[in-house]
Amino acid sequence: MVEWTKKHILEIKDLTRQEMEVVFNLASSFKEVSQREVKKTPALRGKTVVNLFFENSTRTRTSFELAAKRLSADVLNFSSSTSSISKGESVVDTIKNLESYRPDILIIRIDTGACLKNFLNYTRASIINAGDGKNEHPTQALLDMFTVKEVKGSLDNLNVLIVGDIMHSRVCRSNIFGFQKFSSKVRVCGPPAFIPFEFEKLGVDVFYDLDRAIEDVDVIIMLRIQRERQNLAYFSTLREYVENFSLTPERLKRAKKDCIVMHPGPVNWDVEISSTLKDELHPLILKQVENGLAIRMAVLYLVGAEKREHKTLRR
Amino acid sequence: MKILIKSATIVNSKNTILADILIENGRIAKVERNVKEDADRKIDAKDKFVLPGLIDLHTHLRTPGREDEEDLISGSCAAAKGGFTTILCMPNTNPCIDNEGVVEWIREESQKIGIVDIIPIGAITKERKGKELTEFGALKKAGCLALSDDGSSIDDSYLFRRALEYAKMFNLIIVSHCEDKSLSLQGAMRECFISGKYGMSSIPDIAETIRVFRDIEIAKYVNTKLHLAHISCKKSIELIRKEKEIFSYLTCETSPHYFILTVEDVEKSNFHGNFKVNPPLGERNDVEEIKKALKEGIIDCIATDHAPHSFAEKEAPFENAPFGVIGLELAFSLTYTYLVREKIISLNQLVEKLSYNPANILGLKERGEIKEDAIADLIIVDVNKSWQVISKNLVSKSKNTPFLNSELMGLVELTIHQGKIVYERPFFPSINLSSGE
Repeated sequence: MVEWTKKHILEIKDLTRQEMEVVFNLASSFKEVSQREVKKTPALRGKTVVNLFFENSTRTRTSFELAAKRLSADVLNFSSSTSSISKGESVVDTIKNLESYRPDILIIRIDTGACLKNFLNYTRASIINAGDGKNEHPTQALLDMFTVKEVKGSLDNLNVLIVGDIMHSRVCRSNIFGFQKFSSKVRVCGPPAFIPFEFEKLGVDVFYDLDRAIEDVDVIIMLRIQRERQNLAYFSTLREYVENFSLTPERLKRAKKDCIVMHPGPVNWDVEISSTLKDELHPLILKQVENGLAIRMAVLYLVGAEKREHKTLRR
Repeated sequence: MKILIKSATIVNSKNTILADILIENGRIAKVERNVKEDADRKIDAKDKFVLPGLIDLHTHLRTPGREDEEDLISGSCAAAKGGFTTILCMPNTNPCIDNEGVVEWIREESQKIGIVDIIPIGAITKERKGKELTEFGALKKAGCLALSDDGSSIDDSYLFRRALEYAKMFNLIIVSHCEDKSLSLQGAMRECFISGKYGMSSIPDIAETIRVFRDIEIAKYVNTKLHLAHISCKKSIELIRKEKEIFSYLTCETSPHYFILTVEDVEKSNFHGNFKVNPPLGERNDVEEIKKALKEGIIDCIATDHAPHSFAEKEAPFENAPFGVIGLELAFSLTYTYLVREKIISLNQLVEKLSYNPANILGLKERGEIKEDAIADLIIVDVNKSWQVISKNLVSKSKNTPFLNSELMGLVELTIHQGKIVYERPFFPSINLSSGE
């Protein structure tokens, strides 16, 4: 097993395959903790974890909060709507202020991309990226891959298809970098305005036609569509978007027989995915949420507990 | 006061000559070998170059309104230290430079400081809102030579046509910031592979080129002068190259960062606000095309687009940081280091881009060239000296430059403005200030 050296989890771009495997192994162990009567381990006792959310989020924040609490850390929740940001304090000043409390881990969600590396100058704490602009959402990708690994047994040589608003999706970017490190092939599919400039150069195959894109895929990730994009003419009407990019039973038949479908949630049923597939697909999407907790416990543990052996989890 | 510069290697845009220079009553009295006359101050310029004072067509002095970022004194000092003796300041101030009152105030205040000549660029439309024309005649009378709505390109083609027509009557030049805002939207960097990889909101190069095309077509139709600000991409240059063959009233500028930096530097900086400019930094082929165009003379001038911003504003996340970098103290050394030393252009061409052409475009006949009877605006530079860009040594109030800690070649040793020594490294003798180096 590799020794963990990373202080921060900022981007999947920065992680190696081996490091991701460490996270997955640890997450498997932590899943067990959550099934116990007493769902707590003392791994991060005495550590201070700050949920620093400059952008609204309930699901990711809750997941991180619970993960930190199950590791016995002290958790401070900070969200911009209730904080000094609304009084005009800058993001950097907020971080400097919190630094006075000597936090051990800052979990940051922010609406501007690729800004976290510059924040490292202002804090001694570890930073975990909980979504930065349209750049990355590493724990979401880790939980997606972890879920795939649980179902498929391996992450190697898969065909992964990501459908929807590729342009604005940090989940998509993190998944691309992650799956590619396991030598899986990634395809993206959406209307052209949702495909970033020269995106093929990332080594992904670009499709505008979902019926073709879906052929032979092992994994499908459907991205949530934000209805306000329609106003900026990324696509015309929701009706037409659904007609072209919604996952229907007929379309799903074109994928591999054992293809699995994931969604970072919350799902707009009958927009991204036809509700006739709900009974079939919803259980795995809920499984993602459960795995998200384990993945977040794992990364918190890895960056929070210095110089530990990660072969086995101390219980 | 008489100043005699001995053994000067005088670099003009068209020639290099060895001579002495006698300065008297704010003018260049003599340019000849072995001037015997007595002077109050004798300067030995052996092994150094003497250039005409540099002229910046594109500066933001943040005054009035944001004097915390730059004021007329700090801006004047930054200019003199960088070798500029004439600078044109853009009207994106508060209040806006859109009436003779503000123009006169800046003229008077800057003349009192007396370090460099500051010529305001008046707004084309009131408050730069793109709706109503300002009083061009009044602005001209107050001292404007050029008009621009600066960062706000006039979207209304009808109004832009009328502005060009009206400017023609007053022999004013329109400086156009070419940007189709409906395409650039809230973009933070050039749309490219890197912007896609990081999901960074982005601006396509065509946002500039489409507006370049429109502006040239209207200026051709009206048959009047047009100057295009900070050209940043290959597509625009290809268009300008073609149009310049048939339309002689067209001139343009670029800024040092556009011939040095690319989107890759933005990525390497971890998206630091100091790398955010508008138009955004381009790709390698844009940089190569800009260098080629400078060499060929397709790009007439190098302007700084000096845009001071406070540290707090620039340490914000890249997508939220304001656009702009400072340039007055760096433009000469950057041009020397990256173009002259790299043998892209000669030192004479440097003078052409940074002094002679800007003077010509503005119709300043007595500047831009070291010759007898011209205004004594000149600088002495040592091109063999290197220096490091260190924040605390910059005299500009703002330190936002992507070149912090870079090592540059070429140092301005002395700046003479209207026959007076305004900067003698590291001192500003007239105001008893040192740049702290």
